[in-house]
Amino acid sequence: MKRLLTTCAMSLLLAAGAQAAGFEARASEPAPELKARDLNGAPRTLADYRGKVVLLNFWASWCPPCLREMPSMERLRVKMTGRPLTIVALDSAETPEEVKAYLSRMKLGFPILLDPDGSNTRRWKVFALPTTFLLDADGRVRYVLTGPTEWDEGEALRVIESLLTELPAHAG
Amino acid sequence: MRFFGFLLFGVWACSFAARADLLDHLRFPATGTQLLLWVASERGRAEPEVQAAQQLAAQGVEAWSLDLTSAYFLPQLPSSMDDVPVRDMADWLRAAQAGGKQVTAVAVARAAVPLLRAVASLEPAERQRLCVLLLYPNLYMTAEPLAAPDYLDLEILTGLRVHVLQPRRSAATPWLPGLLDHLALHGATASATVLEGLREGYWERESPTEFEIAESRRMDAMLLRELNAWGCK
Repeated sequence: MKRLLTTCAMSLLLAAGAQAAGFEARASEPAPELKARDLNGAPRTLADYRGKVVLLNFWASWCPPCLREMPSMERLRVKMTGRPLTIVALDSAETPEEVKAYLSRMKLGFPILLDPDGSNTRRWKVFALPTTFLLDADGRVRYVLTGPTEWDEGEALRVIESLLTELPAHAG
Repeated sequence: MRFFGFLLFGVWACSFAARADLLDHLRFPATGTQLLLWVASERGRAEPEVQAAQQLAAQGVEAWSLDLTSAYFLPQLPSSMDDVPVRDMADWLRAAQAGGKQVTAVAVARAAVPLLRAVASLEPAERQRLCVLLLYPNLYMTAEPLAAPDYLDLEILTGLRVHVLQPRRSAATPWLPGLLDHLALHGATASATVLEGLREGYWERESPTEFEIAESRRMDAMLLRELNAWGCK
């Protein structure tokens, strides 16, 4: 009995800790407009990713926590190959040259979008970097995370899987 | 070795003892007509801030350096700055003005909150004689993703001239126009300069760039350049 109570207490503590550092669930909020260009200058909007779960990450090349989590996003991309998840990293308020300088050192297989004038950053009301939004296949915001995480494991992976399971025909 | 140099310099600076009834601060006397009040951020005072004050004094600009976390034994958190007694800060500003020099108060990050609240409590004539420089001020009450920012009520700042120094490499930079609007809404005349190639607190970063290291060593020059360009007298 004592062991059971200790286990319960430990579980509660761990759950509380995970929640404190973790994802904030949103009540299926409509997403703000995303209007950006990729590194080739092609315009991109959320409509380009409709029908898939979207991980939209706001980052900058000068931000150490942003760069720390990038490898885990790349591992997540590889892990999710063939599944309806799109990872999009939107660089906040830097020049294309600054972004390309970073990408020359760090090979990433997911699309990078540019927001040189910070207009998307303001529209999405991003006040800290990194900030990440998880959108469902209808383009609605379901989770927000402020700060970095390891995207290919733990709570992050569970949250993404939960959104993918809402697409039973494609989740496998 | 650098640490001991810093320590000895601190002892020397403290020998110019601040008045006992004033907030505990370091003074770097100079004979010029300008007095710069430096209010360190919620992270406390770092060595390059002391060096900048020393370098300013060597160029004739008297400097007083205030670390609120140390003065009040506060935890090094943004919320600590919100608990600083306004009257103490206002008395400190009045004591600075009493010397007859042109006073510019500089506050870093959340330290902008107690400074602006103290300024708001001054008499209009006292406020108009003051220049305020804010380095990447944090004036948010709440700032949550997907929601419009909620700024703190700064009360009346009519007649105050405020200049914001905003490092380019900061998540707050896209929000600079909104911040200036908020200051103007409270009656201040607000302007800004973006500091290219720098991050917030660049003088105390764990992994600074070479440019940040170089800029940390010439903070005095940056401050004098910005003060001259701004022209607040």
